[in-house]
Amino acid sequence: MVVDDDLTAALTALRAVGRRSSVARRLQGGVEQRLLQSIVDATASLFDAEASSIALFEPDPDRLEFRVAAGAHGAGAVGLQVKPTEGIAGFVFSTGQALALTDVGSDPRFDLKAAERTGYVPRSVAAVPLLDDEGSVGVLQVLDKRSSPSFSLRDMELLAIFASQATTAITATRVQRDTGRLLGEVLREMADGAMTDAHIEALVSDVTRTLDDHPESPFWRLVDHVASLRGLGERDLTLVGDILEVVARHAQRARRRA
Amino acid sequence: MSGLDLAWSEPFSNISGLARRMRLRGISRDWAWGGSTGAGVRVGIVDSGLETDHPRLAGRVVQSVAVELLDGDPRIVPDESGDLYGHATACGGIILGLAPDVELVSIRVLGADLRGKGTAFAAGLEWAIDHGIDVLNLSLSSKSEALFPVFHDLVDRAYFKGTVLVSAANNVPAESYPSLFSSVFSVAAHGEPDPWRLYYNPAPPVEFGAWGVDVPIAWKDGGSTVATGNSFAAPHVAGMVALILSKHPGLAPFEVKAVLAAVADNPRRGAPLPSGLAERG
Repeated sequence: MVVDDDLTAALTALRAVGRRSSVARRLQGGVEQRLLQSIVDATASLFDAEASSIALFEPDPDRLEFRVAAGAHGAGAVGLQVKPTEGIAGFVFSTGQALALTDVGSDPRFDLKAAERTGYVPRSVAAVPLLDDEGSVGVLQVLDKRSSPSFSLRDMELLAIFASQATTAITATRVQRDTGRLLGEVLREMADGAMTDAHIEALVSDVTRTLDDHPESPFWRLVDHVASLRGLGERDLTLVGDILEVVARHAQRARRRA
Repeated sequence: MSGLDLAWSEPFSNISGLARRMRLRGISRDWAWGGSTGAGVRVGIVDSGLETDHPRLAGRVVQSVAVELLDGDPRIVPDESGDLYGHATACGGIILGLAPDVELVSIRVLGADLRGKGTAFAAGLEWAIDHGIDVLNLSLSSKSEALFPVFHDLVDRAYFKGTVLVSAANNVPAESYPSLFSSVFSVAAHGEPDPWRLYYNPAPPVEFGAWGVDVPIAWKDGGSTVATGNSFAAPHVAGMVALILSKHPGLAPFEVKAVLAAVADNPRRGAPLPSGLAERG
């Protein structure tokens, strides 16, 4: 049937779009992580702080997830999730207002649960929002400057500059991070009410699930290898390109023979 | 986004740049608020909700409401949740420190539903303007382009109704509303530890500088801490506005702004700076 053929072709196209988007995300994802890491490394070192971290907003369920951290007491924060309606990070994220508190460790009521989960309870904390064109996407935090018990206005200004660098890194890779959402929006627009939300969701999850099923598969290992070539010079890249071309030609011949 | 933009608080870290040749004469602080305690003035705090029984708020909270979103539509309900973060209570404590007899009204717009926070903020603002609040302290802002005309309309309504809107500027000089609308009293922090030290910035959009570094504040669950941020500078200005309106009821927002600019601590152009001020950061 014609309709079935159309549907099959559309699904194949959708999978191809999803696959390309996922490859781009895989290639870029590491870059984003490294950029964010370099930003918290620089922040911790410049402020001579015990810890520095970046938490990003993730939906469903709404949460702030600490992605990267640096400093002698930073490591415990990575992977920590907090509600966006709680604590300093939550306030700064929700209001878009930068904030620093001093002497927080002496108050037993202050964010103690979240702090204890990281294994480090700070005396002072400064937090600035990561603001893109739409609003907050996350929070950059610094804990305990060793040289001073509190944070100055200049400190807050510097932090805001680091935050804007982090936001630029995040915005650049956001489309790739949200493959599923992007596909869902496109489908909804095209279907113009003819498909239910549940149907669209099922379709999108089918497409994206098959893509990310086997992160250790030979295909994804190949993508990782390509990503690791980024730092090479032009001559080395040309050489790798030549080798890949030979391998690809060999693969084509093998397929024809089969 | 350029990483080299200066923060909105930058003008207030170099006091010599604030020198003015002309200012209104004959208006002194004594005329503006001498003897005033803020009695009879209602100050609304659009924020995370006030902790009504906090000792620093001294029983001055007369009403608490919250904006709830029902299927995306905002509605105003009585609020008994206290302060979600501690921030609103901090602002309330600062205002009472300057104007101990004002009546505080808590308008909680921060809550569980993050997606509607711009809508909730606008709804809280609208409720306050329509319910006879004289001064509103806003430590929030929105970058949403969709809400730009909504805030523009609300800010104009407040202005024509005589409601003074005092808003903390964001730390980064990105566009954010309503703090950058011309009728709003937009405030950034300076670092001089004096709740009464006020600067007028002759190069707006941010017009006023007040203490916002290492400010001792009230915090969640009856607690206290020390904090830095533009959102702790704004309530100092809100407190001064309340004092002026208590002593001179009926002044329009533009007249209150003129009074604040006249009594600000800016040095006169050509006159020597008070010792030590020029070097402060």
